[in-house]
Amino acid sequence: MSEILFLRNEVAPAMLRGVWMSIRLIVPSAAFGLAIGILTGTLRVYGHAVLKSVANLYVTLFRGFPLLVQLYLWYFGLARFGIYFSPYTAAVLGFSLCSGAYHSEYIRGALLSIKEGQMLGAKSLGFSKTQALFSIILPQAVRRALPGCGNELIYLIKYSSLAYMVTCIELTGEAKILASLYFKYMELFLIAGAIYLVLVSIATWILNNVEDWLAVPGFEPPRT
Amino acid sequence: MRETPVLEIKGIKKRFGDKEILKGVSFALNRGDIKAIIGPSGGGKSTLLHCINFLTLFDEGHVYLNGKEIDYTNKRELYAYRQKVGMIFQDFNLFDHLNALQNVQIGLVRVKKIPKAQARDRAVAELERVGLKEHMDKYPAELSGGQKQRVSIARALAMDPEVMLLDEPTSALDPELVGEVHSVIQKLAAGGMTMILVTHEIGFAGSLAKEIMFMDEGVIVEKGPPRKILYEATQARTREFCDKIIHFHRGGDESR
Amino acid sequence: MHFSVSAGLKAVVEGLPYILGGVWVTLVVVAGALVMGLVLGTFLSIAHVYGNRLLRMLTGIYVWFFRGVPLLVLLFLFYFGLLGALHLDLSPFLVSIVVLGLISSAYQSQILRGAILSIPEGQLKAARAIGMSDTKAIATIILPQAFRLAIPGWSNEYTIIMKNSAVTYALGVAEIMARANHVAARTYQHFWLYLLAGFIFLALTYIGTKLLSLLQKKVAIRGYAR
Repeated sequence: MSEILFLRNEVAPAMLRGVWMSIRLIVPSAAFGLAIGILTGTLRVYGHAVLKSVANLYVTLFRGFPLLVQLYLWYFGLARFGIYFSPYTAAVLGFSLCSGAYHSEYIRGALLSIKEGQMLGAKSLGFSKTQALFSIILPQAVRRALPGCGNELIYLIKYSSLAYMVTCIELTGEAKILASLYFKYMELFLIAGAIYLVLVSIATWILNNVEDWLAVPGFEPPRT
Repeated sequence: MRETPVLEIKGIKKRFGDKEILKGVSFALNRGDIKAIIGPSGGGKSTLLHCINFLTLFDEGHVYLNGKEIDYTNKRELYAYRQKVGMIFQDFNLFDHLNALQNVQIGLVRVKKIPKAQARDRAVAELERVGLKEHMDKYPAELSGGQKQRVSIARALAMDPEVMLLDEPTSALDPELVGEVHSVIQKLAAGGMTMILVTHEIGFAGSLAKEIMFMDEGVIVEKGPPRKILYEATQARTREFCDKIIHFHRGGDESR
Repeated sequence: MHFSVSAGLKAVVEGLPYILGGVWVTLVVVAGALVMGLVLGTFLSIAHVYGNRLLRMLTGIYVWFFRGVPLLVLLFLFYFGLLGALHLDLSPFLVSIVVLGLISSAYQSQILRGAILSIPEGQLKAARAIGMSDTKAIATIILPQAFRLAIPGWSNEYTIIMKNSAVTYALGVAEIMARANHVAARTYQHFWLYLLAGFIFLALTYIGTKLLSLLQKKVAIRGYAR
């Protein structure tokens, strides 16, 4: 009986607090990450030489460094130079920049897979390069990049748990704190794990529907 | 008094690496002229068309529209120029993510900045002109090659061009679909559109064009009325080329 | 604190040997996880492709679980939860390899499954036609082709595990990140030391990927195109 009370009075509120914080971390990071990815991916394909190199360097570093190292650099590393980010800010900053680098890979691949003829067709009608990019190229590239970018968003949901490592208490953090307090590690981490599974499954379902909703007849990524 | 040519090019030269593709090409088009360019592959015909609307930048030469030279470094001038010089590609280059109607509409909305409703009406009219009104909701992947090419013609016409450049419009089509595209082009010609047609379809070129230009190895070897070029050319190279294709096409022509 | 490059460089140079010692730990963790993932993943992929309905459902659940729960949660679950419940006393090092291995097996099973499914049906038919048992056919005809096809996916898996191994720091494994932290606590040069750690991971990822593409060239079958 006390188990159920325990669940209701202690676990449920903590888990809800945790999930809410997780969502507060995931949603902005996903939005920023995707925006950064589209910007840098486009620069890497269509930008001037200097911009291209800067974007490429960004992607190499932020895909090459483990996310944990990046988070520590923002939160602990910069603190030594007098730049103090809150745990939440450091986490969102780290997640956005890291996932942005991965998104840019998918966007870049998608842009490169668009036939040159599309740009020629647009130019021949008098489109400027920028107009052609926004109206013709990107709408197609986004559809091609959707599986990859969608996958990255699923990863984001999972690695938001690392916010705990820079003392931002989200779902994993709440579980650990409660578990250490009551020595109920197994139960709490199973519950936390289950909640993540639900989040991931919902996100996967939504992404599959978005893919179907955006699908254009005959427009499939070139099969390798 | 001589009228100003609609389109004039002077001394176009283009090299790719150390290979000279165009070695100084010049000609003029008056309003309503239809000129066909024929010649062996690799002779520079396609490159020439791409140079005329600056999709490929040439190394030397000048392009004039209605007597005014086009400065391609002036972006605004370039985009305005490209609207007036419509181009039809061999592989159509329809926008894959848009249906037929949207393909024709998008240039009107984004480039000419016409309000959507008005643009839609114009787009429908253009599609009707090429006989594809019933297919306007179909996506490129759902259209046959001939239909795709007709949509691309509608798309170019929506921009109110003064000249049309047609780069082998039927080369990528199955034989039974060539006819529908040819009849649309004929309709355009009858309506007075100024055109340059690069094609392998000698019979069609001969029946449509006022002048045929034979191009080989980056130069216009000879130009003149179809009858002359195809059957009584003065240059040996021209004769050599035309003899071969006339023999090949003669049977097909008669049966058409 | 002030921005001092010289103090930072000093800490990096001093701490380098100790931190590089962590490279071995990281490499063993990564290698262990990859191998475990490969062995388990192979069996899982075979079960997923050729098994009966129950087997396919079970592997599906396994894959869904280990691809859906975050690494950190699984590490805590296994180390604090499972070990306590089973009254086992294993080192964080071992638990890390097991957890990373289980997660990797879920991903690798899918990579291999994709590779197996892309092999034309005719290969298995021909093997059966000459009298091979299914087990032999899978082992000698299907898998050799599937493994080659899976190498690019494997390469990706390597980079992922390499970067994930940094998280095992949370359990106290004495790998690169843990050691960098150790030196940072002493010298207060967190920024430069984390930067160093990052570059070491970057280098390991790069070298590993290069080696794997060499492997791919070495085992490639001439003219084999899928």
